[in-house]
Amino acid sequence: MKKSRVRILSIVCCVFLVSVMLTACGNGKKEEGFGKKEEQKEIVVMVPPWAEPSSELLKEFTEKTGIKVIINIVGWDDIRNKVSIAAAGETAPADVIEVDWSWVGEFGAADWFEPIEMPEEEIEGMPTVKSFMYNDQIVALPYANDFRLAYYNTEHFEQAGVTEAPKTWDEVYEACKKIKDQGISNYPIAMTLSATEASTTSLFWMTLSKYGDIFNDDFTLKKENVLGALEFVNKMVNDDKLIDPASENMKDVEVYGKLTAGATSFMIGPTYYIGLINNPDESQIVGKASAMLVPGNGDIKTATFALPEGIGVSKYSENKEAAKEFVNWYTSPEIQIKMYKEKGNIPTRTKALQQLIESGDIVGGEVLIEQSEYIASPFPGGIPQWYSEMSNTIYNSVNQMVQGAMTPEQACENIEKKVAELK
Amino acid sequence: MKKRKNTPPYIMLAPSVVLMCGLVFYPILVTFTYSLQQMKLTEPQNDKIVGFKNYQMILADSNFWYSFLNSIIILVGVVILTVVIGIAFAMLLNVNTKIKGVLTAAAIIPWALPPIVNGVMWRWIFHPSYGFLNRLLLRCELIEEPVQWLSNRFSVILIVALVVAWRNIPFCAIVLLSALQGIPSHIYESAAIDGSSTGQMFRKITLPLLMPSLGIVVTSTSINAINVFDEIVSLSGYGDVSKTLMMDAYLRTFNFLDYGAGSAITYIIMIFAGILGLLYIRNLYREVNYL
Repeated sequence: MKKSRVRILSIVCCVFLVSVMLTACGNGKKEEGFGKKEEQKEIVVMVPPWAEPSSELLKEFTEKTGIKVIINIVGWDDIRNKVSIAAAGETAPADVIEVDWSWVGEFGAADWFEPIEMPEEEIEGMPTVKSFMYNDQIVALPYANDFRLAYYNTEHFEQAGVTEAPKTWDEVYEACKKIKDQGISNYPIAMTLSATEASTTSLFWMTLSKYGDIFNDDFTLKKENVLGALEFVNKMVNDDKLIDPASENMKDVEVYGKLTAGATSFMIGPTYYIGLINNPDESQIVGKASAMLVPGNGDIKTATFALPEGIGVSKYSENKEAAKEFVNWYTSPEIQIKMYKEKGNIPTRTKALQQLIESGDIVGGEVLIEQSEYIASPFPGGIPQWYSEMSNTIYNSVNQMVQGAMTPEQACENIEKKVAELK
Repeated sequence: MKKRKNTPPYIMLAPSVVLMCGLVFYPILVTFTYSLQQMKLTEPQNDKIVGFKNYQMILADSNFWYSFLNSIIILVGVVILTVVIGIAFAMLLNVNTKIKGVLTAAAIIPWALPPIVNGVMWRWIFHPSYGFLNRLLLRCELIEEPVQWLSNRFSVILIVALVVAWRNIPFCAIVLLSALQGIPSHIYESAAIDGSSTGQMFRKITLPLLMPSLGIVVTSTSINAINVFDEIVSLSGYGDVSKTLMMDAYLRTFNFLDYGAGSAITYIIMIFAGILGLLYIRNLYREVNYL
C-alpha cells in the first residue's frame, strides 16, 4: 500500500514537472513577445536612462492615445546585445527599442526592425534621419541630435594669453602648450583613449577635421590621413604630455568630466555639453567655458559627424501600430522640446531646435547651428554592417598605440588590414 | 518481480534527468551544432554548415592564443593565491579564540559579493586618476605621478588574478577549515611524542589530509578563473590588452554577432575546463598517505 502510494506520488511529481517544462519550452506563439494583444494597448519601451520621459509626459501620451507605456531602462551597452539575443530567438526584448547610429548597419542587414514611413518634407525637417536609413528604409527615428562640438575653458586660455578662440588644430596645440608650460593645467586637452567606442569616434573627428576623409570611395582606408591623426594624438599623449595618460583607461564621461571640473582646458565633446558646461549643478566652470567649432586645419574650416540616437520598432513586436504611434509622438517637435528641458537631449527636428535657440533655452546655439552645417558621414555609402568589428580594431589600436605597445604606423596598418578584410 | 522493485528509483530520478536534459545537455548540443555552422546574424543569407572550419579558424588566430595565455596567467595566479592564502586563513581561523566566530563571518564577505560589484570596488582602488592606491602612494611620496595600473597587459592581468582570488579565498578557507577540524588530534599528539616539528606535522599530516578538500577548492577556483568576465570588464573594459578566452567568446558572439565562431570558442573553453577538471580529479583524489 505504502509502496504504491510512493509510486503514485512520484508519477504525479514527474507528470507535473514534465508538463511545466513542456509549457515553458513550448512554441508559445500566442504569448510571444510580451503577450500584449493590440486591444490591450500596452507597449514596452527599452531605452537608456537619458531617454526616459517623465511620468507626466507618459501620462499625456496615454491620455491622448489610450496606450499604456511600460518603460524599461537598460544600460546603453546592454541594449544591442539584448536585441541580438532576442532576435536570434525571433522575439522582441521590447516593442520600442533604442537604436544607436552605429548599430544601423547591423540591424538593417539583419532585418530586425520595422521600416518606418516618413514623408519627404518631414525628412527635410529632420536631417539626421538619414543616419538611420538602410537600403532606403528608415530603421529608426532619431530623438537626440548628437554630433561633436569643441569646448574650451576661456579662463585658462586667457591666463595663457590667448584671448580668441582657436580656429585650427595648430592654434589649439600652441595654446595648450602655453597652458601646460605656465602650470595652469597639467593636461590641458581631454580626449578619450580607452579601448571603448569613444576612442573610435575620437580618431574619426581628429582625422576628419585635421586631415580630411577617413575612407576612399571604395571603402579602403585613406592611410595618409589616418596615420597623420594617429601620429598627432600620439605626440600629444606621449611626447608633449598634453593629454592625461589616465585617459587610456577612463570612460568617455569621466574624460569629459575633467573639463566641467576645471581640470582641463579643451575638449571635443557631445552637443549636450553646450547646456551642461554652464549648469551650476553639473559644472564648476560656469561662465568660464564656451562652445566653439571643431578646429580645422586652415583648408578645412571645421568638420564633424553625426552620432544621433533613435528609437525603432522591433520586427517581432506584437504591438507594431501602437509602438509606431509612440515613436512618432516621442520624436515630435513638442515632445523633443520637453525632453530637452527634462534631459538635455538636443532635438533632431530643425523646427524644435530653432524654437529652443530663439527662446534662449539653448545658450550658444549659434555655434550648434553653424557646426551642424558641417555634418558629414565618414562612411561612403552609409554605416557598414561590420561597423562593430571595425570599431573594435580601431579603438584597440588607438589604445595600444598611446600605451606604447604599437607605433602609429603599426596601429594604422592594423586598422587598414581589418577594413580590407571586412569590406 | 525484480523489475518492479527497480522502477521507483528510476521514476524518482526522472525529474532531474529531464531537467538536466533540458537545461544542460540540450543547450550543449545546440551550441555544438551552431559551432559547425557559418552563422552570422547580420548575414542570415550566408548561413551554412562548414564542419570544423570555425575551430580551425580560431586555433589559427593569434588573437585566440593571446587570450589563451591571458587566461592561463589568470588561472595560475588565482589558484596559487587562493590556495596559499586560503590555507593560511583556514589555519588562522582554526585557532580557538573568542573572536573566531566574528572572524569567520567577516572572512565570508568577499565571497558573498557579486563579481561585478567586486570588480567596480577594485577599480576604485586601481583607478588611474583618482584611485585609492595612487592617492596613498602619492601621499606617502612613494611615487611622483599616478601609476597606470590598468594599462599594461601583465599588470592588469595580475590585478584581475588578485581580484578573483580575493573573492575565492573565503570559500577555500571555509572548506579547508572544516577539513582541518576533521583531522583527529591524536595524530598530532602521536607525532609530537615522536619528536616531529610543527613544519614536519604540517607537511606530513595536515597537507596530505587536506588534499581531498583541496581538490574541491582547486577545481572550483579554476573554473571561476577560466570563466572570469565581470571583474575584467569592470576593471579594464572590453579592450584587447586584458582579453581572456571568455571575453573572446562574448565579443565574437554578442558584439560581432558571429554565433558560429562564438559557439566554437565556447566549446574550446568547455573542453579546456573539462580536461583541467579531469586532471585535478585524477591527481588529487588519490589515496591519502599521511604517515
